Amino acid sequence: MGLADQLNTYLTMSGALFAIGAFGFLARRNAISMLMSIELMLNAVNLTIVAFGAFVPPLQGDGAVIALMVMAVAAAEATVGLAIVIAIFRNRKTPLVDEYDAMRR
Amino acid sequence: MRAWLYLLAAAVAGAIVTTPALLVLILLGGSFDDALVASLGTLMLVSGIAVVSMRDIIRCGLAMIVCFLALAGLYVTLGAPMVAAAQVIVYIGAISVLILFAIMLTQDKVGSSRLVFQTQAAPAAVAAIIVAVLVAVAAYGTNWGAASETARTATDALAKLIFGTETPQYILSFEAVSVLLLAAVIGGVFLAKREAGSGKGSL
Repeated sequence: MGLADQLNTYLTMSGALFAIGAFGFLARRNAISMLMSIELMLNAVNLTIVAFGAFVPPLQGDGAVIALMVMAVAAAEATVGLAIVIAIFRNRKTPLVDEYDAMRR
Repeated sequence: MRAWLYLLAAAVAGAIVTTPALLVLILLGGSFDDALVASLGTLMLVSGIAVVSMRDIIRCGLAMIVCFLALAGLYVTLGAPMVAAAQVIVYIGAISVLILFAIMLTQDKVGSSRLVFQTQAAPAAVAAIIVAVLVAVAAYGTNWGAASETARTATDALAKLIFGTETPQYILSFEAVSVLLLAAVIGGVFLAKREAGSGKGSL
């Protein structure tokens, strides 16, 4: 058995989470839902990095450091993304991305 | 009546968490660690699906917190307690609160009653399933040279790795990340602030 002792378990789970996030990013209409889906994808990648750092001996320790860096960059991305969404909402009065058509007209 | 619905939902949630653990423990003969990983992984994936599929966006945000919590548990089973603590502090403590505040600032009255998905939702679902299958096939088809058990990363070893002087030096990227965070904070304040008097933002 050994579900917890295999790298493939974690890689499959993070691939599934990444696919869920990609689906949410492509399919949701709400801008904040899209940002949440981006967070899911970033977390899936983080899980992959930590799993590689835990299982592959040359990467031991480095995985955790890189995951911490990714977390900080994700925090920066969330800050700027949500500020942009709030600024657009203030002018357009809607959170739905398919009504943001100022650059298509 | 409504209380019974909540009780039913709680029972379903408990079943989602405990069923894979019991399956792995009893039917497949796994260890306690295997049951923990199966339970946390199932919780993570189910709450992730809830994030992208539920109609009420506040509930999507709360499901995202559950998803992050399950991920923190997975980090603990992978032997990275510092990453798990940072996950709880940064994602659950900071980013989730930020997203919940942004939800409360940007929802109009009729928004929740309208269509949740774009028109391309069905092709997006097909593409996402293909991505998941491809990642699983690639993961199982590649020899990663992985050890058969996890290596723990103790917190003091992590600190030596970041701030130490050994060959993969992370101190420069650590400082660069702090500058990036400062820039993001300033940029976020600039983007979200109102112009004085005009009532309009910068975008």
